[in-house]
Amino acid sequence: MIQKTTLFALGALLAVLLFPSCNNKQGIQVYRVSKEAAPPENTGMPAMDGNSSMPSMTGAAAPGGESAIISTPPAGWEPQPPSSMRLASFLVKGDNGAVADISLIALGGGAGGVLENVNRWYSQLGQPAITQENLAQTAKHVPSMFGDVMLVDIEGKPAEGAAEKDGRIIGGIVPGEGRTMFFKMRGNTVLAEAQKQNFIKWIGSVRPEEPAGGGVPGMPTASAGMTGAAVPAPEETGASPKIKWEAPDSWKPVPATQMRYATFAITGQNGETADLSISVFPGEAGGDLQNVNRWRDQIGLEPVADIKTLAVPLTGKTGEILTLDMLGSKGRMLVGWTRKNGNTWFFKMTGPDQLTAGEKERFVKFLQSVEYPQ
Amino acid sequence: MAHRFLDFFSSIKLTIVCLMAAIILVFAGTLAQVHYGIHEVQARYFQSLFVWWPADSTGIQLPVFPGGHLLGGVLLANLIAAHFRRFRWTWRKLGIQLTHFGLIIMLAGGLFTDLFAIESFMRLSSGETKNYSEDSRRMELAIIDQSGSELDTVTAIPESMLKSGGAINHESLPFKLLIRHFYPNTELRMLDGKTNLSPAATQGVGSRVAALPLPLATAPNSRDVPAAVVEIVPRQGDRSLGTWLVSELLGAPQTFDAAGKTWKLTMRPARYYKPYSLTLEKFSHDRYVGTEIAKNFSSKVKLNDLDRSENRNVLIYMNHPLRYRGDTFYQAGFEKNDEATVLQVVHNPTFVAPYLACVIVGAGLLIQFAFQFSGFLRRRESASSSL
Repeated sequence: MIQKTTLFALGALLAVLLFPSCNNKQGIQVYRVSKEAAPPENTGMPAMDGNSSMPSMTGAAAPGGESAIISTPPAGWEPQPPSSMRLASFLVKGDNGAVADISLIALGGGAGGVLENVNRWYSQLGQPAITQENLAQTAKHVPSMFGDVMLVDIEGKPAEGAAEKDGRIIGGIVPGEGRTMFFKMRGNTVLAEAQKQNFIKWIGSVRPEEPAGGGVPGMPTASAGMTGAAVPAPEETGASPKIKWEAPDSWKPVPATQMRYATFAITGQNGETADLSISVFPGEAGGDLQNVNRWRDQIGLEPVADIKTLAVPLTGKTGEILTLDMLGSKGRMLVGWTRKNGNTWFFKMTGPDQLTAGEKERFVKFLQSVEYPQ
Repeated sequence: MAHRFLDFFSSIKLTIVCLMAAIILVFAGTLAQVHYGIHEVQARYFQSLFVWWPADSTGIQLPVFPGGHLLGGVLLANLIAAHFRRFRWTWRKLGIQLTHFGLIIMLAGGLFTDLFAIESFMRLSSGETKNYSEDSRRMELAIIDQSGSELDTVTAIPESMLKSGGAINHESLPFKLLIRHFYPNTELRMLDGKTNLSPAATQGVGSRVAALPLPLATAPNSRDVPAAVVEIVPRQGDRSLGTWLVSELLGAPQTFDAAGKTWKLTMRPARYYKPYSLTLEKFSHDRYVGTEIAKNFSSKVKLNDLDRSENRNVLIYMNHPLRYRGDTFYQAGFEKNDEATVLQVVHNPTFVAPYLACVIVGAGLLIQFAFQFSGFLRRRESASSSL
């Protein structure tokens, strides 16, 4: 009896082993499902008037798995119907029939890399390929919601076309998690030059369509704006204390990174950028002298023995803030810090001398506007 | 004959040979991960009856070593045979019997988990509702008939059926799909202007991008992104609708017209539909004070099951998964600046097996220890009384 049972058990086991495809993971399946909600369609409507700050919805679901994006096109940019590749598409017209085509394309994966794509643009205008070193020297960096955009400005003669008509490409590439985004303006040289700053501002305004139920934490919507209103700081669900501030419109919030409470990117007239970080640490956070000397080292300054004569106190909405304005060989740094409820809050703006100095007044107002939890 | 068969399967020598072979297999499989990556090695070395060689050849392959399924299966057979062969019911053997029975359940559970369990992921943005999860590795070519007023008809072709030179001729489709190329791992390149690259396809996005085959991904945190070039040939008339590139990298589905209908064509992660839906109410990412270091992740979801009149909120967080209708939802990650949650979805009909096996083995060992200990005490007592 036992032998029969054993043989039966072994036979059953053998059957299972020799029939590994008995699961339901293979084969063509046909089924019916409810229609999925369609992504927002391009309205095809131009911005309400040239100065409207209403975000335009552009594109359907994007290549590379991106959802629709929202951007604030500058005056005079005419939205074009989306294509299967373009997340956003605009046409801008100038004098004497000059036109420039502006596009945003996302492609999944690395798409060949930044250098290869930049050289593809060079080749389109009949220019020789450049090296990684050339690219590092010539490219500018523009902050965006998708990361740091590497921007190149190329002039030349297209293989099929006229230089005066189609001889300039201002293009930006930002590789990201699982996809690469291409911002591109191509067209008449003079018109492209005239639209360059608008193009850079537009890059900064592009963001993914907000998911239902709220926006990106700490990212006010374009329609809400930031002027004058007390904008809540990043809405965190953890135990981090929450603060509020009033930030200028020209400062673009970007996602906070590790150890940062919030980050803003500031772009100058010529495309140069400054970075403003807000961070909070429990307790004394290492002491003032050590911190100041660490900051001085970051901008190429020698350490100091005492900071009493350097730090300038500032009176804010909810107390005193110590501030520093330091200029070194590597740039300028504006810092403010204060201690509240057992935490030390740091506000640090770093960037080129001219841009950072120009932002000083706004930085001071920003520091004064900060409200801390009681 | 039956006796010899049972002698062979209940032999302790067979146990030792299988365990030694298992050690060699694990060692070889570990080394092979350098070339093939963890998932490929799992399939070739451990989820197979034999390890075949040469591994990459499309020609004749020979089995060179027993695979994980065969070794595990023979060990299980060995254990069952030995268990029943030497089975003698006495109370003193209860611990041993239970321990063996627990091991049998554990081995059998492992085998059935490997064969039947499905692991997938559900990504939900805040406020989003889904009634399907997606495979993290397997793709499917979905062809969607949108002509219905309320429902779409989906024909999902698994990636494993997309072979270069193959054809898909399914009754649900009024056209044939000829697989012109299949690339197990690809990168797409933009094509506009001067370039040495050729368009991947003649229609759709594929006419403006090139598909470059890549070596299979071997890093643990990377995966292959397959792509295929398919030609659509209607059954009525022989005019081809051209070739189309399909890849997850393209994201949005492409559309084409055939047999008087508009169809969508997309390569996407294989989907597993559920008879219920989940809506993400809120995702929470708690951090330690003053840092961005994660402390806790949790997802508050609304479970909606019309069949069972279930409509309730559930909080999913570390070590507190949602178990419902045979699926287990674990908090696995987050995306989009904490606005989206990633839930791992495990459908495992034999998920109870390891828990049950551990309890039975634990009880068996405890009983066996109790018998041994009481014998030891008795012997000690009799030894001391005889002094």
